[in-house]
Amino acid sequence: MTKIIEFSDICKQFKVPEKQKGKWSFLKNFFNRKCKIIKALNNVSFDIEEGDIVGYIGPNGAGKSTTIKIMSGILTPTSGTCAINGYTPWKNRKEYVKNIGVVFGQRSQLWWDVPIIDSFELLKDIYKIPNQEYENTLTLLKEKLHIEDLLNRPLRQLSLGQKMKCELAGSLLHRPKILFLDEPTIGLDAITKLAVRDFIKYINKEWNTTIILTTHDMSDIEALTNKIILIGKGQILYNGSFETIKEKYSHQKIITVELAHEYDEMSLDGYEIISHEKNYVTLKNLSDTTFHAKDFINDISKKYEIVDFSVDSLSVDEILARLYSEYELQEK
Amino acid sequence: MLYNKYFKMHMKSSFEYRFNMFLISFSQVFICIAEILAVWLLFQRFETVGSWGFYESLLMLGIIYTVYSITECFARGYDEFAKLIKSGEFDRLLIRPVNIHYQIFGSRIEMSKASRIILGIVVSIIALVQIGVDWTVWKVLVLISTYLCGCLVILGLFIIGAGISIYTIENLEFVNIITNGCKELSYYPINIYNKWLARFFTFIIPLACFNYLPVSFIVGNPATIPWLCAISPLLGGLFIIPCLIFFNLSIKRYQSTGT
Repeated sequence: MTKIIEFSDICKQFKVPEKQKGKWSFLKNFFNRKCKIIKALNNVSFDIEEGDIVGYIGPNGAGKSTTIKIMSGILTPTSGTCAINGYTPWKNRKEYVKNIGVVFGQRSQLWWDVPIIDSFELLKDIYKIPNQEYENTLTLLKEKLHIEDLLNRPLRQLSLGQKMKCELAGSLLHRPKILFLDEPTIGLDAITKLAVRDFIKYINKEWNTTIILTTHDMSDIEALTNKIILIGKGQILYNGSFETIKEKYSHQKIITVELAHEYDEMSLDGYEIISHEKNYVTLKNLSDTTFHAKDFINDISKKYEIVDFSVDSLSVDEILARLYSEYELQEK
Repeated sequence: MLYNKYFKMHMKSSFEYRFNMFLISFSQVFICIAEILAVWLLFQRFETVGSWGFYESLLMLGIIYTVYSITECFARGYDEFAKLIKSGEFDRLLIRPVNIHYQIFGSRIEMSKASRIILGIVVSIIALVQIGVDWTVWKVLVLISTYLCGCLVILGLFIIGAGISIYTIENLEFVNIITNGCKELSYYPINIYNKWLARFFTFIIPLACFNYLPVSFIVGNPATIPWLCAISPLLGGLFIIPCLIFFNLSIKRYQSTGT
């Protein structure tokens, strides 16, 4: 495997004017502007190998978009070096961007008022795609994304899901080696979401495209990626496989118990009660203990009469929420 | 050619709203005619303004209308650069393997300005015929370079405005004051204005270089040095260079906006 993206010690600072408050503040702001420096990225380093699908995740405002913008050559970092596909994105912009595709989930690259196919034709000229190659790629994209019928309609008439499919097709016409997806499944219904995911997987397999996606939808991460990079407050917090993180929290279980009758007060050593309503109670084992089903039944049936119970692992969202809060605690 | 494609796309887009385009075109012609009337009324009262007659002023009005409308039509991308930044369109342009200026030109083409371009040319021709110029090859060349210089100077002003909006993310009115101010100022000979104002619009923003000076050469104004007036459009056109340098330096400081 070859490294296609090498990101080392990237820092990005923004100067943001600070608003002063009080009477005449607008005059003060105008004449004596105070700026504060915000560190959006702080010594960020990571490598990505060719053919990987990497999930780039983190809470809002962590620096995800900034990283994507640096990787796609839109922003110049304050310091640090970056080599993607043999280029420095912000230096050899024109050469570099020939081999990348970018989809911003909330911004369109297609023309609002003209049929989609015209936008595609324009992209064909922008990327200087040879006729034959363009026809082949378009046929494949039409078939895989089921967008044949949409191409003669202007963008303004399409639904969100249809738009996203067309956006994806548009950014893949030139068969980029690297694809950046910024929240590709935001606001999509279940069927479209699955279709988009299948398509992303297909492209990755067929063209060996390296894909970097940011998302808040953890099921995307589970379904697509083989590696995650977790970023928070401008720093890389975790870089590795998602399985490892899941393993770390696998001893934590959520247990829902149906009781024979209602109890007023409940407590159980080694467990925390999450909710208690009528004759249903939800518990979780304390984080320093490991769950054993046999011990649990013994413990609880000594005190209470139980009818049924079910055990669940932490959901992906919960794991992530926990990761975020853990790292925040460390910083304090 | 790529620009052809951009052009066709803009045509298609604006023909989606045909009635709207017709209305805008109509209203712009109407405004222009009102302005010509205002100049005409002034000359009815005073007959000459600083040795200039009505048709000399009309020629200058025709020139400024033509070049201003051509620039607005084809270089609207610079004029509305703050919008490009705010909407994230500029980010898009940066991820395409095409020269950034080429793409800014391609990003906006305003078909509705076509009516004003035509009107500007018609007004120029009427004025030239009425003045009764003794045409020589040089005068034709100076006239052509006057229009080119005008486009470059107005484009330069748009580019400066665009460069500034990279820092401010907001369209600044003072750029509009200068561009529109230029327009209003240029109907009358520049020597009737205050000395410093005249100098500013000759040496800092070379408005006079596609206006008073070359027109003086063409109509044979005795108050000016002919050869200097003849080459003034060439000198004025150089204005675009510092503007481009400023813009290209500004782009390096581009910060983008949030998602």
